[in-house]
Amino acid sequence: MLFSLLFVPGLVAAQSDEADPASGERLFLGIGCYSCHGYNGTGRVPLSTETSGLLGSETAFLAYMRLRGEKAQLYPSREMPHYGTEVISDGELLDLYTYLVSLDDDPPALEDIPALQDLIDDAKADKRDDTTNPE
Amino acid sequence: MADQSDDKTGISRRAFLGTTAGAATLLGSGSSAAQQAPSVPEGAPAPAPDQLERDLYSAPPTATAAAVNTPGSDHIVQLLRDLGIEYVVSNPASSTEGIWESIINYGDSPDTMPQFITALHEEAAVDMAHGYAKAEGKPIVALLHGTIGLMHASMAIYQAYHAQTPVVILAGRDDTNFVRAQSANDIAGIVRSYTKWDAHPDSLEGVLDAIHEAYRQAITPPMGPTVVVIDAELQKLDASDTAVPAYQPPRIRGVSPDQAKDIARSLLRAENPRLIVGRLRTPNGVETAVALAEVIGAATDSRAWIDPMSFPQDHELSGPGASADYDFVLGLERGGRDASIIGPHRKTVEGRDVTGIGYGFVREPPTPIWGPYAPPKPGANDIVADAEVSIPLIIAEAWNQMTPSVQRRIDNRRRANAAANKAARIAGLERALEQRRRGWNGTPISTARLFAELYALIKDEDWCLPSPTQFTGQHNRAFWQHTKHYSALGQAGAGGMGYIMGASVGAALAAKNRDRIVINIQPDGDLNYVPASLWTAAHYQLPMLVIMHNNRAYHQELMYGQHLAASRRRGIDRAHMGLTFRDPFIDYAKLGQAYGVESEGPIDDPEMLFAALERGVETVKSGRPYLIDVITQPR
Repeated sequence: MLFSLLFVPGLVAAQSDEADPASGERLFLGIGCYSCHGYNGTGRVPLSTETSGLLGSETAFLAYMRLRGEKAQLYPSREMPHYGTEVISDGELLDLYTYLVSLDDDPPALEDIPALQDLIDDAKADKRDDTTNPE
Repeated sequence: MADQSDDKTGISRRAFLGTTAGAATLLGSGSSAAQQAPSVPEGAPAPAPDQLERDLYSAPPTATAAAVNTPGSDHIVQLLRDLGIEYVVSNPASSTEGIWESIINYGDSPDTMPQFITALHEEAAVDMAHGYAKAEGKPIVALLHGTIGLMHASMAIYQAYHAQTPVVILAGRDDTNFVRAQSANDIAGIVRSYTKWDAHPDSLEGVLDAIHEAYRQAITPPMGPTVVVIDAELQKLDASDTAVPAYQPPRIRGVSPDQAKDIARSLLRAENPRLIVGRLRTPNGVETAVALAEVIGAATDSRAWIDPMSFPQDHELSGPGASADYDFVLGLERGGRDASIIGPHRKTVEGRDVTGIGYGFVREPPTPIWGPYAPPKPGANDIVADAEVSIPLIIAEAWNQMTPSVQRRIDNRRRANAAANKAARIAGLERALEQRRRGWNGTPISTARLFAELYALIKDEDWCLPSPTQFTGQHNRAFWQHTKHYSALGQAGAGGMGYIMGASVGAALAAKNRDRIVINIQPDGDLNYVPASLWTAAHYQLPMLVIMHNNRAYHQELMYGQHLAASRRRGIDRAHMGLTFRDPFIDYAKLGQAYGVESEGPIDDPEMLFAALERGVETVKSGRPYLIDVITQPR
């Protein structure tokens, strides 16, 4: 369904040369994207390591953001809000896209995080599978 | 206090129409107005200025007729002592001053079992009792004042009701020399629709029997809060001729012998049985669940990461087992695919909701269709009975039916399940840790880093996590091992904010005498309802570490609000209005210090986090509370 919208007339063509990532960052904070995606895109629904393809191109991103723009809400929801043109313009969406693809998270390797490596080591050292003396 | 002698003051108790001071003013002001209290004739049409002053809480309590050697409240306290009530949590008040005085002065070891704990809000008092009961599987007492005390506490009582947690509430009543609005004919009626049982006895003997019954009702499934209204006069009358009755424990119903036989047979015949363990009643229930799992070698699912009194996660049988193709699944206080044993639901208590309010029962729940948190609609193999009482019967039947060949099969299954559970734990942990490394070095601090670094410091300690974690990232589920009946104390009951700090203090009251530490990962929005519970932690030197999840918002509402604004196609950039704590930011370290808790922060540099956590853990291990304000990712 997502990709069928790529062929819907009316979707704005990319104007990425004019996109402003600084504006995109302001939008990211101003319209509350950070609240679910986290500051720097490393939150509950991360964007810095997004692999679904929605950030693969401007067109895909715009299509997704407009996907349910006309839907009304009946119940309180934490789902992705619906971004119609009244909420955010095409130009602003491109600014936002440019900012999002610039996000980069390079966390340390697991073995370089002592607190996490300790958890793994403790689990491996667990003697719970020794049932020679069940009592 | 003002002189208690009627002869010295010349005050006629019957004739005196003034009122005593209100809540939290047990000690008289010593004002000249109080010392010159006039004698007011009966039937006076208008209050004198002195009476007005008493109505405004500036006067001490009225004199009693004569000194009493054995006041009724001494017997009440002795009864609580005999029940093993460790604490009476209270926002002090004149209608309960009799009980208060007996707690602090009566007996060879006054203010011990029970100890009087001052809560700075009645809601906090009941939340403390709630948290304690979840940690220990038994109640303490919340002592409240008349109408206004119960009203202040009503939110917390409602939550304990929904959480089916035992809390015994003693409510003082004084309709003689008192502010009239603070008394009523039927005080317990204020909260009747969301309590399990209540009584208003008219004699001291009745009060003593009622407290016993309130205790029994509170701990009998469906567990819940109970109320005894105690008139001030009964606390203060001479009770020399009254004896404290002996306590008779309740009889709690388990499965029938035939049901135990059938369940045992099904478990033994199964090639791959499974147990699903929810929240049992007491620590003893946890021990019996472990024993049952070991007898049949069953892989066992646990709720210990989110509920108290569940199966320990460090047990070899805790996990999915060697195969997910289970041929008999038994639920214990949870729904099991093939059979369940779940105690009666609170809705089965008849006649409480006399005005038809219908709290929590306006519509049918979508899922689950039956169980302790939903109206009961059991299936053919589902049994309404207490699982904790039932388990020993099933174990006994299993041993009766055991054969050597079945035992060999069980031994093999147990070894296979143990090895598989360990492998599953490692694989699941590696997956979770790989995912949750994101933003490790970012600011604000990632919630995963907070949970991971904290666990590194407490994993070898005896800890309790009283705060529900669905708003703070819930990383304890993936990272931590919940091994004790008090490891996690679960949800508030009705999802109401303001519960967590009070419940954490209650858990810390339980922890104080048991060499345990309490870890409260505290959402900022929740703290601001009743922050004064921090004072209680400081004053009583409770081993509680408060780590603020400071995301500077009612974040759940913020996400809802953004969604709504966007669907209305307007103003999503304004959706933070009214839902965030900005302009100014709240300084929780200063707040903690104001209440006497050693505090530091705010911390937004992840490199500073571990050292702060280390300071916090060391402080609470020495028996003092500590607060760390951490600026975190929203989730």
